[in-house]
Amino acid sequence: MNALEIDSITKKFGDFYAVKNLSFDITGGTIYGLLGPNGAGKTTTIRMVMNIIIPDQGRIKVLDHKLDEKMKERIGYLPEDRGLYPKMKVGELLLFLAELKGMSKDTARQKIDYWLKRFDLMDWKLKKVEELSRGMQQKLQFIATVIHQPELIILDEPFSGLDPVNTKLLKDIMLEMKDEGRTVIFSTHRMEQVEMICDNICLINKAERVLEGNLREIKKQYGKNTIILDYDGEADFIRDFTEIDKIDDYGKFMEIRLKEGTDPQVLLEKTVGKVRINKYEVQEPTLNAIFIDKVGGRDEEDPVSH
Amino acid sequence: MKKILSVIKREYIQIVRTKGFVIGTILGPVLMAALIFVPILVSVLSVGEQERIAVVDETQEIFLDLDERLDRKLKDGRRRYLLEKYEMRADIGALKGELNQKVLSNAITAYLYLPKEILDGGEAEYVSQHVSDFNKIEDIRGVLNRVIIEKRLRTEGLDPAKIAQYIRRVGLRTIKMTKRGAEEDTGGTFIYSYLLVLILYITLFFYGAIIMRGVIEEKSSRVVEIVLSSLRPFQLMVGKIFGIAAVGFTQYTIWALFGLGASRYGKSYLASHIPASDFSLPSIPVYVFIYFVFFFILGYFLYGTLYAAIGSMVNTEKEAQQLLCPVTMFLVVPMLLMMFVIRAPNSTLSVVLSMIPFFAPILMLLRICVLTPPVIQVAGSIVVMVLTILLMIWLTAKIYRVGILMYGKPPRLKEIIKWLRYK
Repeated sequence: MNALEIDSITKKFGDFYAVKNLSFDITGGTIYGLLGPNGAGKTTTIRMVMNIIIPDQGRIKVLDHKLDEKMKERIGYLPEDRGLYPKMKVGELLLFLAELKGMSKDTARQKIDYWLKRFDLMDWKLKKVEELSRGMQQKLQFIATVIHQPELIILDEPFSGLDPVNTKLLKDIMLEMKDEGRTVIFSTHRMEQVEMICDNICLINKAERVLEGNLREIKKQYGKNTIILDYDGEADFIRDFTEIDKIDDYGKFMEIRLKEGTDPQVLLEKTVGKVRINKYEVQEPTLNAIFIDKVGGRDEEDPVSH
Repeated sequence: MKKILSVIKREYIQIVRTKGFVIGTILGPVLMAALIFVPILVSVLSVGEQERIAVVDETQEIFLDLDERLDRKLKDGRRRYLLEKYEMRADIGALKGELNQKVLSNAITAYLYLPKEILDGGEAEYVSQHVSDFNKIEDIRGVLNRVIIEKRLRTEGLDPAKIAQYIRRVGLRTIKMTKRGAEEDTGGTFIYSYLLVLILYITLFFYGAIIMRGVIEEKSSRVVEIVLSSLRPFQLMVGKIFGIAAVGFTQYTIWALFGLGASRYGKSYLASHIPASDFSLPSIPVYVFIYFVFFFILGYFLYGTLYAAIGSMVNTEKEAQQLLCPVTMFLVVPMLLMMFVIRAPNSTLSVVLSMIPFFAPILMLLRICVLTPPVIQVAGSIVVMVLTILLMIWLTAKIYRVGILMYGKPPRLKEIIKWLRYK
């Protein structure tokens, strides 16, 4: 069963294409990454899935149904612009949001206690939202997203602003949701998270689809021509080698792509003795490299999010 | 529907629980009572002061009569006005200069200059530092008028004994004729009309602002999109407007109970404690009150949707000020036209004005207060308002839907029109 089918949707704001002829399907029970630089159209796409914005063209099917208001009860949504009613008490707020999702009061109360305990927020249940720290508010927003046990969970930039502890907690819960047979879609421009947990990805740039499919297969397509060099010392001389296609230098760490047909051993031989090598590994390109390659090497800052 | 109810419940509980609501609900009637009773108490309790008024009487005939007649008493039984006759001098200019000095140094409150020609139609002069106490001026004008007219008539040879009878003021009773019969009106209609319209005006402003603030809060706290993942913008908007309407209804009920209590017990309390007080609170006919509630509800939805639309277009209350201008005009204009409508409630202009949807709540209510307009006109204005409300809800829903997710600078008219065309 497909959890989501997006069939050539287009959305224009004035003359500006926010999303152009975008299609992808998401298999149920997987984790799907929606990637792209800022302003690529990720949020607009998600808002169209949530029926908050209506596409100009194209069709969207959610959980094998045509999109309508009733379907919203089976979806959990964490928007990119998120906040909570500052004056409401934590317990009340969650109850209100659960009621909006069609939950009965009793079930909602049980679930609220379960999740507050899980996120270590039980002591805050009777406090006002505005008294909570930012991190706690983010946990609360996540609880609001999953409290009604949705079959499809859509998270727009879920990791932004989270500390490492909460990032891990969130990642664990996303994997747990997958194990329970739920589908998780999340958007991000942080590639390391995607590599860790995504089954499939779709890369969008400037409103259009650039890359789509199974993450492992995509990486395989790029071939094993990438070298990770972990080193100490002065390594600028590597740039002089003609066999090199592209270099990403992080100072103590380099991602090097060789020209097709080049034997990685040649480069290793030339490097030995010039710097201290901690690690020399031949592998598939990182998603980060693929992303930069596809998007044009420039992560364009666009302050307007549509 | 269940979701709208959840929104209504949340809005209601959140607002009713705020300190602002509790204070406003209690303070409202206290202020209202203070507005009514404090001036009464002040006038009842204050004794007042004697005032020295110098009189320059060139005719040498008026002073005695004036002194005898101008006998208003203070609360403690002393005369309010102490008249002092000033001897005439040949140099009138110097005399006036001297008196002006006395007025300025507060040696006397005022002086009255009565020229020789006054018996043949000349004018008297009253000179004082402040001339805005209408009661005092009326006292002096009235007595002076009588004394001089009597003098003129006496010189014409009329019987002094009958003069008083000749010049007695003609009484004019005002009787308000309605379908429900005739009733004598001593100004009560005016007072309660004014009061009801004022309450309507203030509360429309007040609740409109609450709606707007609520929308802005949802936007600025960025909670709106989380809520919209469960319901449509329209449901959220309707829930908010109805929830705040329920708050208004609660507040009105509390105020009405206060009012009933105050008019029952307050009146008897005042009457038993302050013997001199003789005033009557206007009693509002039941049908007028029903219309008042009805027009408040219509006005609330008419303005509530406008405020909701504006709230959705801006990010802060400060930004809203500019967009609020036309809304404020809609509310202020009928208040400015109030006096005109009270004076000519049946003129074509009044009828037309009371049919304009945004003026109708205030102006039609006013016309219903001061006269009974034809049923067709009342029904007409209600139909116009209901249609406008439906149109407003439709338009506002479209603006709200787009605006609530827009951050950045408030839209221009051109952009708003574009929003209306979005699918």
